[in-house]
Amino acid sequence: MYLEVNNVKKSYGEGGSFMEVLKGISVSVEKGDMCVIQGTSGSGKSTLLNCIGGLDLADSGSIKVDGKEICGLSQEKLSDYRRENLGFIFQFYNLVPNLTVKENIQVCEYLSPHPLHLFELLETLGLTEHQNKFPSQLSGGQQQRCAIARALIKNPKLLLCDEPTGALDSGTSRDILVLLEEVNRKYGTTMLIVTHNNSIKNMVDQVIFLKDGQIKNNHRNVKKVPAAELEDL
Amino acid sequence: MQKILRKRILRDFKENLARYLALGLLIVLGMYIVVSLIAAADTIIVRSADAAAKQYVEDGQFELFAPLSSAELKELKEKGVTVEAHFYLDYEIGDDSVLRVSAIREKIDRAQADLGELPGEKGEVFLEKRYCEEHDISVGDQVAIGAHSFTVCGIGTVPDYEAPYRNLSDSTVDSGQFGIGFVSVTDYEELKKEAQSLQAEKYVYAYLLNGKLTDKELKETLKGFCLSADGLSKLTQFLVAKDNIRIGAATDDVIINKMAGLFAGVLLIVLLAYVISVFVVHTIEKESEVIGTLYALGVKRRELLAHYLFLPVVIAFVSGIIGTMIGYSSFGIRTQMQDVYNYFSVPEFAALYEPYLLIYGILMPPAAAALTNLFVIRRKLKKPALSLIRREQKAAKGREIKLGKLGFVRTFQIRQFLREMRTAFTIFFGMLFSLLVCMISLNCYVLCEHVREDTVADTKYEYMYTYKYPEEAVPEGGEEAYGVTLKREVLGYNLDVTLLGIHEDNPYFDASVSEGQTFVLISEALASKFGLKAGDDLVLEDEENDRSYAFIVDGIVPYSAGIFAFMEIDSMRELMGENEDYYNIVFAGHVLDIDSGRLYASSSKGEVEKSADVFMELMWPMIIMLSIASALLFLVVMYLMLKVMVDRSALSISMMKVFGYRKREIRKLYLNGNLMVVAVSALVGIPLAKVIMDALYPYMVSNVAVNLNLAFSWWMYVGLFVLIIVLYFLSMPFLMQKVNRILPIEVLKNRE
Repeated sequence: MYLEVNNVKKSYGEGGSFMEVLKGISVSVEKGDMCVIQGTSGSGKSTLLNCIGGLDLADSGSIKVDGKEICGLSQEKLSDYRRENLGFIFQFYNLVPNLTVKENIQVCEYLSPHPLHLFELLETLGLTEHQNKFPSQLSGGQQQRCAIARALIKNPKLLLCDEPTGALDSGTSRDILVLLEEVNRKYGTTMLIVTHNNSIKNMVDQVIFLKDGQIKNNHRNVKKVPAAELEDL
Repeated sequence: MQKILRKRILRDFKENLARYLALGLLIVLGMYIVVSLIAAADTIIVRSADAAAKQYVEDGQFELFAPLSSAELKELKEKGVTVEAHFYLDYEIGDDSVLRVSAIREKIDRAQADLGELPGEKGEVFLEKRYCEEHDISVGDQVAIGAHSFTVCGIGTVPDYEAPYRNLSDSTVDSGQFGIGFVSVTDYEELKKEAQSLQAEKYVYAYLLNGKLTDKELKETLKGFCLSADGLSKLTQFLVAKDNIRIGAATDDVIINKMAGLFAGVLLIVLLAYVISVFVVHTIEKESEVIGTLYALGVKRRELLAHYLFLPVVIAFVSGIIGTMIGYSSFGIRTQMQDVYNYFSVPEFAALYEPYLLIYGILMPPAAAALTNLFVIRRKLKKPALSLIRREQKAAKGREIKLGKLGFVRTFQIRQFLREMRTAFTIFFGMLFSLLVCMISLNCYVLCEHVREDTVADTKYEYMYTYKYPEEAVPEGGEEAYGVTLKREVLGYNLDVTLLGIHEDNPYFDASVSEGQTFVLISEALASKFGLKAGDDLVLEDEENDRSYAFIVDGIVPYSAGIFAFMEIDSMRELMGENEDYYNIVFAGHVLDIDSGRLYASSSKGEVEKSADVFMELMWPMIIMLSIASALLFLVVMYLMLKVMVDRSALSISMMKVFGYRKREIRKLYLNGNLMVVAVSALVGIPLAKVIMDALYPYMVSNVAVNLNLAFSWWMYVGLFVLIIVLYFLSMPFLMQKVNRILPIEVLKNRE
């Protein structure tokens, strides 16, 4: 298994405001799989993603990525872990406003010793003609493509996506999902996608459903629907 | 990665050009003032000392009844002392001014020519430069001295007349009325023979000890040179160089400028570093999500730290260099030195490039920017990636105030203030620092003003006569007194204190002295300068005779015109071992008929008042410069800070525009509340700055022996407050422009 999460617990607050968000989650994902984490608001899906990404620290349990334990690592080591292994995509694109598309991607190109080819990636993501534009000159979908390219340029082994289509219309959402599917196929990137959207689960290899901090359902899709054919996005 | 991020630095610079230019301008202005003030002071201090050493400035001088005999000269030579006759004759020149003429010196206090050359030929005169400036005399002009006409062969300076006082007891230099000239030995002898001078020749000698004798030993030797067998000493006056007000006077004058420069510099740098840090914090907060995302992608904190430090450090560095260069240019250093050139007779000095000042001017601004920002940015960037992405704010304690039944506008303004409390504090600190710079100059102004007023008010006599050889009986209409100049150290400076013996019913000083040698009354000036009060001990040093006198302060006399300690004259005579009818000063309400040969000096109330004005004249340019600089500083800092407030509220302002609020209403909600911030800051900042600067001021003027009366009139406080409010209203149109540029669409774009 590429990702192994074992009995992870996470809580916030103290006393009256104490809230256990993850109540002993155990799950695993195979290398090269696309996996969706679904659940209602407050179910703990983003918290789980953040713990896996080393952005949040689990209270207890174990998280192994490619056999390496990340729970208990220092902030500096976690930073190295993210630098070497991860790509992140968020609902809001958070691009550097006064850098062009190409430069926004290049910021992360320098973080990896083996980055992907910039122009090939721009081509794959349909950004070649927009490479010299600033984020304010792009549509939401184009900005999200840029954010994806920025995350992918490092050639990460694991891509973590937190509501990647949350701020997009259905047409653009479909384009982005097709893109993620293509990236998964082309580069073999393992992907964890947190989403509210019920249709996305049909395009991935594995679906995890969280409710109240616990896994309600964890299954593999027997038959995947290509992103281009998804309905009700 | 830094290479890519650096591209945005240039774009960020262009986007916020006005802000960075204003900031850069502040640093340039600050460094210009600091560097020019200090460099001018350093140049004068070092170069005048160098020039004096080069021209063999005297170790001291003495005056005799009659010239030294060959045997006496031989004796002094054998003791290793170099002595040179600096005899002089005073002549009235055409416009009623007095020219003191000497033979050209060869060994001691040699003349240095700025223009032309020293007199070689018969009929040539070398003139002191300030006299020439006041009388518009150039090389080649003719000057009538006595019955002869002399050609001006050169114009320059001599180190023993750096401050060309006519008499050593004078308190004002007036080059319009007095100057010095040097002629050849032959011409001097001829002038002497003609006997057309205002008074008889003065037998003054300058000496160099050459490390062989001490001043005291030389004085003892000279005391032994007698006029005749009856044992009357020839020595009438002995003055060591450090007590000579004509020597090193320019240095004493500029030390205060140097101290003001150093104080102002530190204040400016702290303020600017703080302002820069507010900008950087604002930028980081604005880019919180971007930074969080970059962290999530593995970008390290130190990489972003270096990125955010780059621009402020470069701006501070470049501005520091420009400011330092202008400070060192003729526009800076030369302008600052002009006041000294206008008053003192010093050679043309080449600017002195002191390494410490270059380092101070060039490296201090970026170092301060780097250190302050390192501290502030590190804290900001220390937040976890997730917290940055979510823009998590710390719970703002104390801001959930219930405002009761205030109107909507007032409630909104208070809430806006609570939200922007930190920026409001920045405005307060910016104002406080600017006020501190302003207080340096205003304190200087009130100090000079009080010296002037107090001198006029407290000088009750019309004439003061200081005797070399007092008559047996005090002239009719005169009030006898006995004065001795002693020393006391304060803050590293050895200042003169006059111990004055007077009668209890002396009409000129409101000091009821009583008999006894234990208690003295002290002047207000002495009390404030040395921080003394009734009951304190006062120890005064007689350096010449290696003696100390200890007294107890009995009370403080309302007299601010001099550093005086008063005691009963008979008790003082006894203490000093003088005859019971001895006196050496006479005060009078009108002119007295006293033989001038008996006098060391005489001064009128008018002259004393004129000398009090000189303080103000000398300090005025610095007062004006620092006042303008502090107002500019405050205006720019306040504008920049208020702009940051508007920037931070941009989304909220945009939202208000979406709701349909008009410009006037938005101004009322977001800007008018700031008037209260500025007004309250001024009400707190003005007295606070005054208290701080009053505490620091004695260190800045530690070399100046005047009454430290720094009290402001009420109108100065009111004036400062009004000025601050006016400056606030001046910045309003610019801020409204900024508010008007915020579009309703902003909120939609940024929320996407």
